[in-house]
Amino acid sequence: MTYSEVIKQDHPEGTMSVKAFKLVSAVEREMLMGDKAHINIECIECCGKNLYIGTNDCFIYHFLLDEKISTAGKVTFAATKQLHKYLGFKKSVTELKAASALTRLLVLCDNTITLVNMMNLEPVPTGARIKGAVTFTLNENPVSGDPFCVEVCIISVKRRTIQMFMVFEDRVQIVKEVFTPEQPYAVAVDGYYLCLALTTQYIILNYNTGISQDLFPYCSDEKRPIVKRIGRQEFLLAGPGGLGMFATVDGISQRAPVHWSENVIGAALCFPYVVALDDEFITVHSMLDQQQKQTLPFKEGHILQDFEGKVIVATNKGVYILVPLPLEKQIQDLLASHRVEEALVLAKGARRNIPKEKFQVMYKRILQQAGFIQFAQLQFLEAKELFRSGQLDVRELISLYPFLLPTSSSFIRSHPPLHEYADLNQLTQGDQEKMTKCKRFLMSYLNEVRSTDVANGYKEDIDTALLKLYAEANHESLLDLLVSENFCLLTDSAAWLEKHKKYFALGLLYHYNGQDAAALQLWVKIVNGDIQDSTRSDLYEYIVDFLTFCSDQDLVWKYSEWALQKNEEVGVQIFTKRPLEEQEKNINPDDIISRLNKYPKSLVKYLEHLVLERRIEKEKYHTHLAVLYLEAIFQLKSVATDNCTETTELLFKLRSLLQKSDLYRIHFILDKIRGTDLHMESAILYGKLEEHEKALHILVHELKDFHAAEEYCIWNSENRGLQYRQRLFHMLLSVYLNTGTSDCALVMAAVDLLNNHAAEFDAALVLQLVPDNWSVQLLCPFLAGAVRQSIHTTRMTQIALGLAQAENLIYKHEKVKQKGTPILLSDKKVCQVCQNPFCKPVFVKYPNGGMVHTHCAANRHLNSNMIHRSSSSSNQT
Amino acid sequence: MKKPDGKVVLLGDMSVGKTSLLHRYMERRFQDTVSTVGGAFYLKQWGPYNISIWDTAGREQFHGLGSMYCRGAAAVILTYDVNSLQSLTELEDRFLALTDTASADCIFAIVGNKVDLTDDCALSPETEDENRPEKSLASCGSIKVRKQVRAEDAIALYKKILKYKMLDEKDVPAAEKMCFETSAKTGYKVDYLFETVFEMVVPIIVRQKAEGSPQTVDITDYKPAKRTKSGCCA
Ligand SMILES: Nc1nc2c(ncn2[C@@H]2O[C@H](COP(=O)(O)OP(=O)(O)OP(=O)(O)O)[C@@H](O)[C@H]2O)c(=O)[nH]1
Ligand SMILES: [Mg+2]
Repeated sequence: MTYSEVIKQDHPEGTMSVKAFKLVSAVEREMLMGDKAHINIECIECCGKNLYIGTNDCFIYHFLLDEKISTAGKVTFAATKQLHKYLGFKKSVTELKAASALTRLLVLCDNTITLVNMMNLEPVPTGARIKGAVTFTLNENPVSGDPFCVEVCIISVKRRTIQMFMVFEDRVQIVKEVFTPEQPYAVAVDGYYLCLALTTQYIILNYNTGISQDLFPYCSDEKRPIVKRIGRQEFLLAGPGGLGMFATVDGISQRAPVHWSENVIGAALCFPYVVALDDEFITVHSMLDQQQKQTLPFKEGHILQDFEGKVIVATNKGVYILVPLPLEKQIQDLLASHRVEEALVLAKGARRNIPKEKFQVMYKRILQQAGFIQFAQLQFLEAKELFRSGQLDVRELISLYPFLLPTSSSFIRSHPPLHEYADLNQLTQGDQEKMTKCKRFLMSYLNEVRSTDVANGYKEDIDTALLKLYAEANHESLLDLLVSENFCLLTDSAAWLEKHKKYFALGLLYHYNGQDAAALQLWVKIVNGDIQDSTRSDLYEYIVDFLTFCSDQDLVWKYSEWALQKNEEVGVQIFTKRPLEEQEKNINPDDIISRLNKYPKSLVKYLEHLVLERRIEKEKYHTHLAVLYLEAIFQLKSVATDNCTETTELLFKLRSLLQKSDLYRIHFILDKIRGTDLHMESAILYGKLEEHEKALHILVHELKDFHAAEEYCIWNSENRGLQYRQRLFHMLLSVYLNTGTSDCALVMAAVDLLNNHAAEFDAALVLQLVPDNWSVQLLCPFLAGAVRQSIHTTRMTQIALGLAQAENLIYKHEKVKQKGTPILLSDKKVCQVCQNPFCKPVFVKYPNGGMVHTHCAANRHLNSNMIHRSSSSSNQT
Repeated sequence: MKKPDGKVVLLGDMSVGKTSLLHRYMERRFQDTVSTVGGAFYLKQWGPYNISIWDTAGREQFHGLGSMYCRGAAAVILTYDVNSLQSLTELEDRFLALTDTASADCIFAIVGNKVDLTDDCALSPETEDENRPEKSLASCGSIKVRKQVRAEDAIALYKKILKYKMLDEKDVPAAEKMCFETSAKTGYKVDYLFETVFEMVVPIIVRQKAEGSPQTVDITDYKPAKRTKSGCCA
């Protein structure tokens, strides 16, 4: 909250003003003085309905004031004269104060305060009075605590003297007399604190302790000082330069000053306003922001006072009442002129004057209204904050935008309306740019609140509105909204999306509402080009993916056909990428296979998935896959003679399958490739049949691929031991050498084989096979390897032999040790178990020396305890 | 109305830029001001505390209000215009006495404003103004004058204040730390000034709170009623 300085400006009324007060006449001149021009009003007092007027010809008038409110809310006052009383001097009545608890009116006339009855204006019979008073005031925050006593403070006729009195029904009592550093001119009291206007300054004086506190200098000679208590421990003072200064009893200022005119005569308070009177105007300032709020022309005023919240002004001849307009009305006026800040300040300031519940309802409403004002000015940040703090029903805002609320929404705008706009069109007056901004705001606002408490109860309205905004604006968040938890109403949203041709999104909406069939139907139409929506360029893949994870089998069957037709390889993913548990539970692979029969590529992919990925060990899948590979290869070969990459790839796959799988029907496949040029494959198949000679023969003679032949030996002997491997290699060597024709290439291959794989051969066998005419040179690496191997083996064997002999020796030594000295059996030697003598020269001796019968030793497991005990006892003997 | 926990008061001759400084800090902009009438204040939320910042009127006419505004203040920012030696002298002659009513442990800051008008170029790299291009244009394009008040002069004044307050230099923040040169126009060092002051005010607030109601005046501060000769209204 800021309290900024006030700049006195002579605003024409209306531009800056609030209508805070209305000036209403209370007592007309005729009622008082008729045509006697010399009679002037000197002072007034108002207490409840009683209005007292003191005149310069020493009369007191008593009126009853009746407030009347017309049906239009117009307030008027009717004053009925009750009495008038002449006090019997030639002096004016300078001050009147009512003490309603005592039914007394305190009358200051001729420097004397007399007590008169409030009703009949008769002086109290005791004649109690206070003499020597220049002016007086009542302590509105009395310290005595006696309800039948008022505390009166007077400025005495004695120089620099203030006196405090207690005034009872019919007596007065002086309490205190204090002296001031300068002559006092005006005084106000709060508790023990006197706020005094002295000749050159204002001070606070505690009459109980005598301690004083300077406030600020002021020249009372030049300008009439004003000292006015405005509340607990706070005073309002006329300061230099026409300032209305606030000061507390502590001598500090808690509010910025208000700026009056230089010649201000009087001031009054009517929360939250400070009212001031000068010779031409009544001015109204707010205590909340110090700004001038209203100016009422008022000539020749000379009294301005507030009485229990009622502000009365008077000229010499007439009395008027400043009737405050209800705060709510003032706030509404401010809002109506779009002065949001001030309206809020005023509303907040009214908090303590209005019952809590009522205030909260009112304040919330004001915040909401203010929010709409800011909104209409496109001050969205401010608006949002106000909507938030005012807990606005978001639908109020949504309802400004045509067609956004779902048709089913039960929402009705609050009454009276929170704003003056029928809809956004009216608010923006058709300005498209503004309209877009407003829509963008609503989008972000709804997006923010949809997951908060604010949305509770109308999530459907909010999400549907948001969907509509997104769709219309082509906003990417539309999809995010639809794929996450949302409350969009189906019928409303569907119609809107259709209207804006958001078919993909519409599909998502259907899907979210469990209508996958409808969703798919739409999407397929988009892909087929029957309807246009370019949201996703990869919609086909999206559908495939959707079907992959779709658990509705009927839909999967229905649309997989379409998907496969479009693209076999991608379409098959519906089955191959399907989550495993889903596959295992619901769909029989055989059904899929029979469906895929029309789509060979898909079928291959699917079988690969079964065989290679899922490793399903079923002969028919393996054989089927092999056959499919074969068919594809034949097919390709029939059209192109050269090996294209596709063939190579297929061959690679086929070989890999044939090699790795043991499940397919070997003979069946072999039959299929017999007579073709798939030599490698037949070799593999023969290998599977353990017909290695045939296989190697093919590799060496048909394919002439020696490397492949070697490889063959290696992978066929994998995990089968050295023996098996040597057998294969030997076989290969034989194939190389036993050809009859001495093919040079084969010989070379044989040599290489031997030289490179010396370890895989039994050299002795090899040497039998090798032709005699081969030079040692030729087989040098092999022979060297073989000899080295042989020597190595010999040595290793010798070492093993040596080690074994050593071990044997150790055992022999043990044995000899164990034999030890001979044992003599006699009748005295008894079995430690049964304590009987040994009858045969057969016994068992334990390492500790204990001797037992063989049968007793055999029983020892049955009663190991006993053995244990007897053996220990034997140790003792 | 929220009750402030502590008070900071800006004092200084008229048109040295008190209102502009406060405005720059609170509203983040520089705009035309009118000479302040009486005083104005802002509430600033600083951590858990509400600090009231009083902008006083430099005009002679309102001089008398100064003591009251300073009463119980936790910090006083004495402001001068770096291009007016007179405005610095005034601080000592006219404004220092007003701070007698401030809290006993009140801290003092001396601020030379309007450095943008001087040819002192040291400020450009440190400028805090977001509108740098505008600033450099406005400040470097206009005719620069030699700065009339040197930083040392302000430091000397600060030391005089300590003497006047009978404070030991050891017990208070160093002069170099408490003398600032700012520009309300460019924003140069304005945040730094207020934030430094608030930072130092917090411990005072904490102590004031511990000792009793905030902003009430030490009883020893009351003077027995006496005649004052000080200025009558102009
Ligand atoms: N170039 C420049 N001008 C400034 C700066 N600060 C203030 N001014 C100008 O100086 C003039 C006075 O500024 P104010 O902020 O009203 O001065 P003040 O101290 O509040 O004056 P009083 O309210 O009379 O006490 C205005 O015209 C400002 O635009 C500044 O940093 N640089
Ligand atoms: Mg100012």
